[in-house]
Amino acid sequence: MSIALDTAPHAPAGAFGRIWSVVKLNLANPWTAIILPWIILGVIFVANVAIWLIIDRAVGDAGDRADAVDGFSYSGAAMYIFVYMMVVAVQTVNLTFPFAQGYGVTRRDFYLGTSLTFVLLAAMYSVGLTILAAIEEATGGWGLDGRMFTAIYFGDGAWYERLWIYFTAFLFFFFVGAVAAAIFVRWKANGIIAFFIGVGLLLIGLAALFTYTGTWPQFGAFFATAGWLGSYTWSLVVTVLAAIAGFFVLRRATPKS
Amino acid sequence: MSAIIEVTGVTKTFGKVTAVDDASFTVEENRIYGLLGRNGAGKTTLMQLITGQDFVTSGDIRVFGQSPVENASVLQRISFIKESQKYPEDFKVKHVFRSAPWFFADWDAAFAEQLIEEFRLPLDRRIKKLSRGQLSSIGVIVGLASRAPLTFFDEPYLGLDAVARQLFYDRLLEDYAEHPRTVVLSTHLIDEVSNLLEHVLVIDRGRIIIDEDAESLRGSASTIVGTRAAVDEFVGARPVLHRDAIGGLASVTVAGLDAAGRSAAKAAGLELVPVSLQQLVIQKTNTTEQEFEASA
Repeated sequence: MSIALDTAPHAPAGAFGRIWSVVKLNLANPWTAIILPWIILGVIFVANVAIWLIIDRAVGDAGDRADAVDGFSYSGAAMYIFVYMMVVAVQTVNLTFPFAQGYGVTRRDFYLGTSLTFVLLAAMYSVGLTILAAIEEATGGWGLDGRMFTAIYFGDGAWYERLWIYFTAFLFFFFVGAVAAAIFVRWKANGIIAFFIGVGLLLIGLAALFTYTGTWPQFGAFFATAGWLGSYTWSLVVTVLAAIAGFFVLRRATPKS
Repeated sequence: MSAIIEVTGVTKTFGKVTAVDDASFTVEENRIYGLLGRNGAGKTTLMQLITGQDFVTSGDIRVFGQSPVENASVLQRISFIKESQKYPEDFKVKHVFRSAPWFFADWDAAFAEQLIEEFRLPLDRRIKKLSRGQLSSIGVIVGLASRAPLTFFDEPYLGLDAVARQLFYDRLLEDYAEHPRTVVLSTHLIDEVSNLLEHVLVIDRGRIIIDEDAESLRGSASTIVGTRAAVDEFVGARPVLHRDAIGGLASVTVAGLDAAGRSAAKAAGLELVPVSLQQLVIQKTNTTEQEFEASA
């Protein structure tokens, strides 16, 4: 038997080392958060190309064609990936968190490492989508006037504006998913029910406020003025609040088995 | 000897349920402890409190001299894979062993590989698809190969076959001899682990009812077998823990029989039978063996 003579304890990891270990843990199996989403996106893209082809062959009239191309700009085909990332966030907090505790990871290190993971994933997907959007624009919608990555919701600005829009949207879905999952881990189903009731009441309250004060036009004007870019930037307010709330909720949470 | 864990007057309540009730004990460095008790006695809650996974309602816990709650310098030295451990949704067995070295400074990859081979763990299988015994093997291997200064084994025998149980027993003792550390073994299968233990903590309904060296605990009671009349005469006013009688024969377990008592029993033609740890615990928790095993 060969036994390593090095029995001296290894140096414990420093603060950043511990946080980076959590990032690695979250991506230990890259399949779920990195590989599979691109595959699904590819499949959706191929299906869309097929649809564009069918429409391209079907419409002869220039007016019909313009209508169809206008319709393409409302494509929700790329939306799935944002919702998918919310599910990734939920599973990470719900399952990887209790697992990390078994490895002696503090809640603080887990949350910081997981937040860093989310930011890195958001950056990777934003860059990827921005490149695809640039190709989509350069090739005249893949030669078919198709639109998936330049759908109207992603704005109509320069590539760096689109990059920012993707990035803020990913962060929004990650951290809203994370705070919801943290509430579930800490207070189980009752907490989640209370959370949705609270969010519902808040939205109804805001709607009532705008209705009674007759400020719906101003509300609409606010987003019209802000534009796509400004509106996505404003979503950071919600994202940051969710991120902070998630930290404090998880800080006192105990996963139940 | 220095105390690695100091638990002082710790109570943990969940609503109206008191899971841990005013527990106080210490765990000394480099020994093997058994945390024994029935299902629902409070073993897991107690370990979660010690590892900072849960928060005390009242009382104080010190691990390596500090509070374990959100304390990285303490928690980095602890390995605690729960019996009911949750794993990330998409994890296969290999992902556990890929990630473990990032969290345990003293992780021994070669040892882990050897154990995976010996326990015949399928590396490419998803955790969700594992049998109960294979799940236990993961906990056992992580606990052994992490070489954490404070290692918890939570129900390590659950679902393991006889060969795997013996393997765990052998590897733990070998590795413990080469790399001394503090081990806390929690189980309700007392006879399986009794030979491993150096110190015994028994928890019942959240209270620590036995906190004793394993040797002295084994010597703390003896069972005397003989004819009913002879046994009754010998027992006299001695404290009786347990009594069985069939026809004219009686078997009585008495506490604290000293050397003089032993020779007196032999002189009276009575037979002395050693008391197993399991029997002792059952008798001290005042439950019947059937009840105890039913909880297994």
